[in-house]
Amino acid sequence: MERLPSVMSQNRVWYCLDCGKCSAVCPITRWETRQYTSPRLLVEKAVQGHPDEVLDDPLFWSCLTCKRCSELCPSGVYFSEFLRDARAMAQEKGQKGECSHSEVIQVWGRIMAHANPAQDRLGWIDGDLRVSHDSDVLYFVGCLPYYDALFKKIGCEGIEIARAAIRILNHLGIEPQVLADERCCGHDQLWEGDWETFQALARLNLEQIQASGAQQIVTTCPECARTLKLDYPRLVGGHPLRVFHLTEFLAQPGIGDRLNLKAEDMSPTVTYQDPCRLGRHLGVYDAPRQLMDRLGLHRIEMGRTGKASLCCGTSCWTQCGQVSKNIQVERLREAKATGAECLVTACVKCQIHFKCAQSDPALREELGIDIRDLTTLLAERLGDGTKAEPS
Amino acid sequence: MNDRARVVVFTCNWSGYSGLEAAGGARLGFPASVFPLRVTCLGRLSSGVILKAFEKGAAGVLLLGCPPGECHYQFGNHRAEEVLAEARQLAGLLGYRREQLKLDWVDAGDGEAFVTKVRDFIAGLNGK
Ligand code: SF4
Ligand code: SF4
Repeated sequence: MERLPSVMSQNRVWYCLDCGKCSAVCPITRWETRQYTSPRLLVEKAVQGHPDEVLDDPLFWSCLTCKRCSELCPSGVYFSEFLRDARAMAQEKGQKGECSHSEVIQVWGRIMAHANPAQDRLGWIDGDLRVSHDSDVLYFVGCLPYYDALFKKIGCEGIEIARAAIRILNHLGIEPQVLADERCCGHDQLWEGDWETFQALARLNLEQIQASGAQQIVTTCPECARTLKLDYPRLVGGHPLRVFHLTEFLAQPGIGDRLNLKAEDMSPTVTYQDPCRLGRHLGVYDAPRQLMDRLGLHRIEMGRTGKASLCCGTSCWTQCGQVSKNIQVERLREAKATGAECLVTACVKCQIHFKCAQSDPALREELGIDIRDLTTLLAERLGDGTKAEPS
Repeated sequence: MNDRARVVVFTCNWSGYSGLEAAGGARLGFPASVFPLRVTCLGRLSSGVILKAFEKGAAGVLLLGCPPGECHYQFGNHRAEEVLAEARQLAGLLGYRREQLKLDWVDAGDGEAFVTKVRDFIAGLNGK
């Protein structure tokens, strides 16, 4: 951890004013009961030159890098990025967070990065779904086929999200490319400090993306969107492609307005969970809301919404436990309190985490609310043929 | 696949491992490429642990537990089947072939069955 001071400089940690605004909103500070922890305290340990205490702080591995704190920080401290970079140093020393799900997600990431497998990941492209080898648009699927295998049992929509995305693109006359050997984007590896795997994955993806000849990447995963758009160019290698989360792609004039959507009279009342990566990381708040409005969905916002949104409680498949569960329960109660029948989100991980919390038999009744990805909601409301081009 | 390709054999403590011990006691040989790993019950495995064997270079992973209905903990067989199904699906997506991962059983103390099942599994990997 000798390089800690340089990582502190890069991320403006020295500028901390000790105001405590971050600690007031941090969900980990609120729910970590075993030991007091807060972003401000961790910053203080770093500033006072106690790297070991920084490393031992519960927040070091459990911070969700949700950026809720930096949204309020008057001094522009990049707390999430500070931890991201400090975690890479800790991993170099052989330390890491506690992996959830028996580490299986990290394991498949490493296999994809290093073992050069011949993946068989396109089995879901069936029926009337149309893809091509020369489209200008590349649909980046992310780990959806894998999450489907792991989380279908808790009701996760999984690969249906990818099917829905292709259906929407097809509706617009786009037959996107899909990479047969796409790798995990490396988001989790980057944010939990496994720099080596991140770089390997990024290089393998960049090679294929560049060879595809596509000009635009569309994805339904906010983490893939962030990583491909911001982190690949900054850390691994530039690419000329424009990267969009599907909701952003559809928000462009001349594209989404061509969607022929069947607004139903009896649409459910919905509330919306801003995924951290789509909202605070990429600044996309309006695009998904516009789409919900166009579907005629009656939307009621939760108290904490947009920039103030509460994270779904787990990040990078690490450190999941009582703190995560409490955050999820807190958020689901907030969603229920709006009176909405459906919690809409635009990130498969939000859905997985909330559905997991809902699977607790003791809370099933209290937390029961439908949870859907906006992509599948859109796809099932597509009418026949697109709207005419606006004249 | 060559005969030296590493194969991980997870044995449960009660039947699989007892078969392995019996094979050792009776001096029944099996290829040196086999890495036996004892777990208390195959139901304690997870897809993460199974895939990790592949990550570390195993060409095949064999799970040897108790005969159907004779699990020492009653429900471990069933749990192992669930774990296997999940691991199979993930391994399939990653491009591993179906024969590279198998769940099987031996009677407690049956060294010969242990050796036969391990050898057959390796032969299957080699397409024999
Ligand atoms: S990024 Fe989120 S979880 Fe991490 S310290 Fe800030 S508010 Fe807390
Ligand atoms: S909000 Fe910013 S300035 Fe205030 S304590 Fe937190 S890191 Fe320091």
